[in-house]
Amino acid sequence: MEDKPHPNRIGLPLCGLDLTIRGRRTCIQEETSLPAKNTNTVTLNVRANPMFLHLVTTFVEKSAIAFGLDEPEALSLTLATEEIFAYLCQSSSPDREVWLRCTGGGYYAEEEFQFEAKDFSMRAFNLTASPSVDSDPELKETGLLIASRMVDRFRFSQQDQELRLVLMKEKSYPRFSELPAASTQPLKEFSVKAPDPEELKLLVRLLNLSYPAHLVPMSFRFPGKVVDMVASGDCFAIVAADRSGHLGGGALWRWDGPKLVELYGPYVFSHEPDSIMAQALVEHFLGSVAKSSAVGVINRHSTPELPSEYFESLGSLTVPQEEGPPLTVPAYYRHLEEDLGITIWAHHSLREFLRKEYARLVFAREIRLITDEGESSSSYSVLSAEFDRGSSRVTLRPVWWGLDTEENVANHVRILRDEGIGGIFFAMDLGKAWQSRFTPAVLNAGFEPRLVLPYAGKGDVVVFQLAGGESSR
Amino acid sequence: MSPLCLDNLLPDYIKRFEAYIPSKPDPELVKLYGCRQLYRLNNNENPLGPPEAAREAIAEFPAPRAAVYPSGDAYYLRQKLAEKFNMEPDQFLVGNGANEVISFVIKAFCESGDNIITADKTFAVYEWVAEFSGFVASLVPLKNYEFDDQGMLDRIDDRTKILFICNPNNPTGTYWNTGRLRRFMDEINGSKIVVLDEAYFEFVEAEDYPNGLSLTREYPNLVIFRTFSKMYGLAGLRIGYLAGDLSVVDAIRRTCIVYSVNSLAQVAAVAALGADDHIVRTRSMVRQGKEFLKRELSRLGLTFVCHEGNFIMIKLPMSDTLAYRKLMTQGVMVRAMTSFRYPNHIRVTVSEMEAMQAFIDALEKILP
Repeated sequence: MEDKPHPNRIGLPLCGLDLTIRGRRTCIQEETSLPAKNTNTVTLNVRANPMFLHLVTTFVEKSAIAFGLDEPEALSLTLATEEIFAYLCQSSSPDREVWLRCTGGGYYAEEEFQFEAKDFSMRAFNLTASPSVDSDPELKETGLLIASRMVDRFRFSQQDQELRLVLMKEKSYPRFSELPAASTQPLKEFSVKAPDPEELKLLVRLLNLSYPAHLVPMSFRFPGKVVDMVASGDCFAIVAADRSGHLGGGALWRWDGPKLVELYGPYVFSHEPDSIMAQALVEHFLGSVAKSSAVGVINRHSTPELPSEYFESLGSLTVPQEEGPPLTVPAYYRHLEEDLGITIWAHHSLREFLRKEYARLVFAREIRLITDEGESSSSYSVLSAEFDRGSSRVTLRPVWWGLDTEENVANHVRILRDEGIGGIFFAMDLGKAWQSRFTPAVLNAGFEPRLVLPYAGKGDVVVFQLAGGESSR
Repeated sequence: MSPLCLDNLLPDYIKRFEAYIPSKPDPELVKLYGCRQLYRLNNNENPLGPPEAAREAIAEFPAPRAAVYPSGDAYYLRQKLAEKFNMEPDQFLVGNGANEVISFVIKAFCESGDNIITADKTFAVYEWVAEFSGFVASLVPLKNYEFDDQGMLDRIDDRTKILFICNPNNPTGTYWNTGRLRRFMDEINGSKIVVLDEAYFEFVEAEDYPNGLSLTREYPNLVIFRTFSKMYGLAGLRIGYLAGDLSVVDAIRRTCIVYSVNSLAQVAAVAALGADDHIVRTRSMVRQGKEFLKRELSRLGLTFVCHEGNFIMIKLPMSDTLAYRKLMTQGVMVRAMTSFRYPNHIRVTVSEMEAMQAFIDALEKILP
């Protein structure tokens, strides 16, 4: 396709290759229906040719620093990018077009690669992949393995023949101060509103001081980070305050994909039972998301003040604690729409669990069983691992189905156990039939199905937890 | 080829907007929820159906006329409306349901940077059309379940073009009486367009309820919406109209899509307009249904909001969307009100006694 000139775009014909750089400050959306995010982006479009390696790494390093990362974090992101781009140059023709987009979201910098999936091995993104000097093809993958471990998060997605690979590195922030931030007596009257940055930092300090660690996700232990998360549109917050500015409580929420919002709280510092404030916070929150693209609300950090009449019980998860035995914590859900029913794909070994859960939750679902009829499959599988090291939790997700799935899942479990991870979860999207093919391997590795999260992915997501893996940290 | 980047193509106001997904056809819902039949109590339809005269007009509609374009501006219907309400035919614009005429008005008066004002908990289409057209919808909280007149006046700025008032309000059934509406119009003093949505006009029996059409003579900036979907039972044919001062309607006509109202809808609406006995029978059914519901809901210890219109809003001690799913399994379809910003409320269409009894029976089964 001809690359036409654009007012915001500088076209540089170079050695017969198209090179374009463009930058803009904008409100973008990862998915078209998500709330707009306040981010900066710069994009680079190059061919997969080693002659551009230095340009690519410079682009990423300078972008990351411009977006607020310190030198060490920017260097990590740059090295990860270098490894991936070098791998792309090695493993494909120099005509392969690669789109890079570096996004600064206040508290993070994110590097997105978009390219044709053909001939690209994602195997090295398995946590279990290790460098081998025995064979050249695996040696080529070493760089990707290094890249995957240099960043805080990575994720894949594939649509048609396009592969998107996203690396994310977060800024460093000071942890919340242990000093008492303010008094937390009940407020005689209050109103619910969006906090300004100072109120938001106070909210974060107070909720960390008022609630046990398992009710406060790791991201919310850094007041400055939460301010940046809210500013970037990655997180939303409300507070209950009186006219003098005293905070009585608050709630936070984040989008988890295009259809699900995760609510944290409500946090009520006086811990009053049947709190009017908790109800007001929940109603305000629901009013904020009721007309958005969100289909449901999940709450895995529910406080004792959560007004249960607004939510449905999904079940429970067992989570490790910093001290003491693991805790069983409830998970709550609230649907925001009149459910229209969907079709989901399942392996027959999960059918009974799903049938019971859907009956209990009263969700209309047509369960279609997957079949294996001798069709060809990839020789390898890929799993992504999302770490919350502060909570000693890891969530595995299928990225690619392959014939080694049984071994791959078992190896992941072994490595995670060796690392002392207390909570090991596996999330499977029942809207994607191929993901259900992981079911026997997941069950054989010792996982048990614990929750069904309606609409958490393309379809519902089943969350498995490794039985007996909930050791204390 | 470069990857498709919708981000660069879509306006921001479209990216932010979420498409409305209507419910599936009844047979599909019955299959999904495993119920034997379905009482539709979700859309405030009239269970008595269209008036007899409209039924006959529909039955006699000659099939070959389906090959001929309809009257582009609903000529005969506008004549009939003018005759009935003692106005000029050109004071009426007919649309494919009242929803379409909302678009006509917004397109006629708003340009980039303009805003409209309405309530936060009311019929959502004013807000939707404004937002997906790129205009700001300023939402004023209801006060005691009513449109807050002073709150709306306080929100007006230089870029405000239209104020939408749902009278009676869906879903609370509250209304502004004649005096209150006049005071509001006097404060506006012709500076903005005021739309009075009277979708439930024919259901209202209160004596102090204003007739918006007659007020357009005094207030040329007043535009009235009415529909054939509710009282006249023609929701499936999609036909509604707006009326106002000649100069205002002439301006709106410039954005009007002609030929959007089909011939069958037009002849059915013409026939329906004279059916006063149908209104009497429907009002009687609604009165009886409301009395029954109020008594039964009180017995169940539930609070409710019940004023004008053929609907009632009920507060539940559980999630309304969960109640919706549970009621569906019992064969009763209601409106979950989270989307109206009333979490844990449902809105129920007042219907015939068989349906009302089925609803109460189902509700008793699902309450925690």
